[in-house]
Amino acid sequence: MATIVKSYEPTFWDRLYIPALVKGLMVTIRHIFKKKVTIQYPDEKHIPPEGYRGLHRLNKFDDGRIKCVACEMCAAACPSHCIHIVPDASPWEEGKERYPVRFDIDLLRCIYCGFCEMACPEEAIELTEIYDFADYTRESFLIDKDGLLEVYEMTKDENFYLREKENAA
Amino acid sequence: MPLLKIDDREIEVAAGTTVLDAALANDIEIPHYCYHPVLEIVGSCRMCMVEIEGMPKLQVSCNTRIGNALPDRKVDGMYDMVVSTKSDIVKRARENTLEFLLLNHPLDCPVCDQAGECFLQDYSFRYGRAHSRFEDEKRVRPAEDLGAGVVINQNRCIMCTRCVRFTREISGTGELFVQQRGNSTKISILEDKPLDNLLAGNVTDICPVGALLSKDYIHRNRIWNLDRQPSVCQECSVGCNVDIYHKNGKVFRTSARENLDVNGYFICDTGRYSYHDYEAVERVTSPMIRKDKKWQKISWDGAFKEIFEKLGRKKEGDSNNVAGIFSPFHTSEANFMFARLMQNVFKERAVIGTLPLPKEEEKKFPGGFRISGDCSPNWRGLTEVSSYIYEDIFNELKKQKIKLMYALDDGVNRELTQEWKDLLRNLDFLVVQTYAMTPLAERAHLLLPGAAPLEREGTLMNDSGRIQWLRPVIPLKGSSRPDWKIVMEVMNTVGKRELDYSHVNEVLAEMNERIPAYEGVTFFKLGESGMSINEEARES
Repeated sequence: MATIVKSYEPTFWDRLYIPALVKGLMVTIRHIFKKKVTIQYPDEKHIPPEGYRGLHRLNKFDDGRIKCVACEMCAAACPSHCIHIVPDASPWEEGKERYPVRFDIDLLRCIYCGFCEMACPEEAIELTEIYDFADYTRESFLIDKDGLLEVYEMTKDENFYLREKENAA
Repeated sequence: MPLLKIDDREIEVAAGTTVLDAALANDIEIPHYCYHPVLEIVGSCRMCMVEIEGMPKLQVSCNTRIGNALPDRKVDGMYDMVVSTKSDIVKRARENTLEFLLLNHPLDCPVCDQAGECFLQDYSFRYGRAHSRFEDEKRVRPAEDLGAGVVINQNRCIMCTRCVRFTREISGTGELFVQQRGNSTKISILEDKPLDNLLAGNVTDICPVGALLSKDYIHRNRIWNLDRQPSVCQECSVGCNVDIYHKNGKVFRTSARENLDVNGYFICDTGRYSYHDYEAVERVTSPMIRKDKKWQKISWDGAFKEIFEKLGRKKEGDSNNVAGIFSPFHTSEANFMFARLMQNVFKERAVIGTLPLPKEEEKKFPGGFRISGDCSPNWRGLTEVSSYIYEDIFNELKKQKIKLMYALDDGVNRELTQEWKDLLRNLDFLVVQTYAMTPLAERAHLLLPGAAPLEREGTLMNDSGRIQWLRPVIPLKGSSRPDWKIVMEVMNTVGKRELDYSHVNEVLAEMNERIPAYEGVTFFKLGESGMSINEEARES
């Protein structure tokens, strides 16, 4: 069924255009006195909120052992198949008997959906707040186990960008 | 015959059948752990409880047999037994049983290699409750090495005793037993008598949970990552049906595939771990010619041209005959093409036979499992495709002073006797079609790279005359080609034929017409379980 759309017939007040102009300008003027939203990136970094899904990390226990047991639940849950794990028996006596020998993530394939951290039964893989890791080669976007543990060191204590800001100050 | 009613279905079964057997045969699922079709019934896991009308309590279905009821005792005047597998009381019983089985279970699925094919996982998901009410500390015990590449994780064990019954009834060695009782019960071995028999690996297959694990596969991959390829074991002439689990051209494990006409439910450890041997050999991956005692790679065309020049032309003198060495390790298709090459191309110049075959003592186990003494998977098939064959060609070669030889190599790393070495040294031209650098291949003048055991496709006939489909598991390496294809190319070059089979099933179709035993055999008909030539004869 066709719908009949009635066109709006402008009144005399509308045809003056000046009231609308002033109305629009008022919005601009109001915002001049508000706090600025724009950030001077990259001199100034945006600080993502809690729960932001950025670069991955692999968590460690206090004694330095990796938390991951290479169960490959993250790889199974991953919709873009970007996680590749090679498991083996762990070298340590205490703790879990299995650990990842290799843990590679293709950051270009990853869609940062966070399914991996949801699937992880050991709370080993997490997405951090780091968002600026642009580079020039494809190879540099293949992050391995050491790289992921390094990200843990960078982000374990507090927000990465907050600390960067404090260090700069 | 007694009439049984399970849920809403009426089934007629033979008297003496257990309820569980009747249900499983009719695709009605009753969860069970301790029951195994070939092992003695113990009814210890209590998972298969069903409600039977007229009985005051739930019964274990694996140990309740169906008999003929007296006319006045029949339920509804017609049923000998009425079973319910889905009533509320049965569901509650399953929930409770599972909760008990999981009391001390560590729930370490992330590190457990059974995860993905674990019946505790499956049944908990389908029949269990979501959480445990057990508040005390779980019992923790260390893992133990049982020998023969099997480790036991005592925490995960649910004491179904399948493994104990297996070593008592099938392998007949009885190494495993149940130690202690109550909360301290565990599967154990005597200190000086570890698990040591050729069927030991099967206990890891029949364990319904992750308690018994093969050291070979432990922590190597997750089962859902792997692709399963139904295949046939090539370690002896029994031809056990196996599943080969592989990923990206690499094999991770082999397990038994059920085929009651061949191997039942089990395979031996030789076959189970044979894929390591195939991986360990030095592969030949491109055609190579020996020049000044060194191997030099050449193209396939160059290799065929060389064969044509050396074998194709008749020369003056008595050394004109060509010896053709068949191999019972190859598929029937490769041997069939080779027989055609010898009989139709070389004709009266051909002398055909095999190398001396490795023989071992036949082993039989109390459970009926057999390991053949003939280590080749296809001797029977070879005799079918080529009727006149010398089992040990040595004397014939010596008598006729053969100078030319074309051999399908077994790929078995066996030492040649001094006599054979002398004979091979005196040959003018030796072509060896092989996948591995065997002692025979080392003495060749020309090497043609064929397919490795796990790369072959075709049919194998076991020693009881059963034709089975050998499927390729991993892709061909380098520039190697399927063996039947190489022989076909040689026929085309040397015999000026124009054969152009693009797939192995065209060779099989050709065999249908020429070989009586292979009449009407197609890959589709062979399927996963194969077909016996004896059955074929009965039908026609």
